[in-house]
Amino acid sequence: MVLIEERQEGQVAQSRDVVLSVRDVTVGFGDTLVLDGLSLDVYRGEILGFVGASGAGKSVLLRTILGLVRKSSGTIHLLGQDLDAATDEERLRVDMHQGVLFQHGALFSALTVLENIQVPMREYLDLPRALMDELAYLKLELVGLPRNAATKYPSELSGGMIKRAALARALALDPDIVFLDEPTSGLDPIGAAEFDELVGKLRDTMGLTVYMVTHDLDSLLTACDRIAVLGGKRVLVEGTVEDMLACDDPWVKAYFRGKRARQIDRSARG
Amino acid sequence: MKLGRAHAINPAAIINQIDRMGVGAVPIIVLMSAIVGAIIAQQGAFQLRYFGAEIFVVDLVGILILRELGVLMTAIMIAGRSGSAITAEIGSMKMREEVDALTVIGLNPVGVLVFPRLVALMVAVPCLTIVANFAALGGAMLIAWLYSGIPPEAFIDRLRDSIDLSTIFAGLIKAPFMALIVGIIASIEGMKVGGSAESLGGHVTASVVKAIFVVIVVDGMFAIFYAAIDF
Repeated sequence: MVLIEERQEGQVAQSRDVVLSVRDVTVGFGDTLVLDGLSLDVYRGEILGFVGASGAGKSVLLRTILGLVRKSSGTIHLLGQDLDAATDEERLRVDMHQGVLFQHGALFSALTVLENIQVPMREYLDLPRALMDELAYLKLELVGLPRNAATKYPSELSGGMIKRAALARALALDPDIVFLDEPTSGLDPIGAAEFDELVGKLRDTMGLTVYMVTHDLDSLLTACDRIAVLGGKRVLVEGTVEDMLACDDPWVKAYFRGKRARQIDRSARG
Repeated sequence: MKLGRAHAINPAAIINQIDRMGVGAVPIIVLMSAIVGAIIAQQGAFQLRYFGAEIFVVDLVGILILRELGVLMTAIMIAGRSGSAITAEIGSMKMREEVDALTVIGLNPVGVLVFPRLVALMVAVPCLTIVANFAALGGAMLIAWLYSGIPPEAFIDRLRDSIDLSTIFAGLIKAPFMALIVGIIASIEGMKVGGSAESLGGHVTASVVKAIFVVIVVDGMFAIFYAAIDF
């Protein structure tokens, strides 16, 4: 059943614009394989939720896509560019059009929020200072941070504000795709819901493609268009929430039909 | 759009680091060097007194400090003071994925984090060595005056005969090498930090211990080298 779904998904893919395409990627550390022949597509303008058990390799896949972890085989096409075959200039163009929100924000602690947002601008663009300030304030506003947060250092911010500031940095160059690593972890339900709403809003206004690693069932339900489940070193199943509920895999069943998931169950039924 | 990743050097970062690692270290280097200079002068004078050659204490401290101790003590102090700071800073950035964030944005972590610190050390350590030399000679001069009754004018006169420019340069030439050793070891250890606080502590310790050890070994090798070329 999963196979058939994948095939259908593949046929649809030809008509839709694939932003990120991961093919047969294998990653191992020493003798242990973490990912084995994993394939995944992300389409333009969608929010893909990526779930999996802790230690299943979600972060490893993300870091492999970002080039922080070496893969032993397979290909990754990001924004139509084969990352292995890319020249420096092509790689630069890809880097310019991607944004990353790390799990703990990874804001540069020696810089203020405003300077953090300006780091990518400074790296890629030759802009006058006043314009950069203006752009950075615009991004701040976009992610819902007050203007007075601009001059603060990351250590002076709350967890939710750090995530928002990190998102502002990820959006600094108006990227085509953003990678979010557990964006709602450590946020209270209200903050998490606001964040989900923000991501949805940004997708609608900027035409952003979002790749979101998450454990938050509410996020998966409200924000994500499609969900991919990592299990057994590859993508176990991908599809909508309904597909997840219909899946027979015990882990997927436990995840989406467990005690904490009753709400999804109800909303899916009703 | 800027193309290519060859980055212009960031002078602001380098100057900031020089201020922290160089200017900030002046008080402790002055204090430590003055005390060491004073101790050597007193011990030297005490031993030389038996031979009635107390005035030779000036030669002793002059050559010892300028050739060996000034730069060595400075390097050791910098390894403890700035080496540990570099490892801890880079290490905690590694822990908080800031280094990954740099890479993803397209900045080279070595260029952004390591290079300004190395350059700053290469500038700061020779300057600090000069400061340490003056402080140690000052401490020695004071003790020679108080303990052995050699007045400062006589001390300086004697010093002028016993040392020349090559004595000073024999010590100073080592300073950039010491700076490189401390900087590179500290940066490598910082980059090796993993996810835990324990790992950070371990690598800071390793950074300081390794840097001090290598600094001393290299100082010894310089001494052998100087002896071999009759410098």
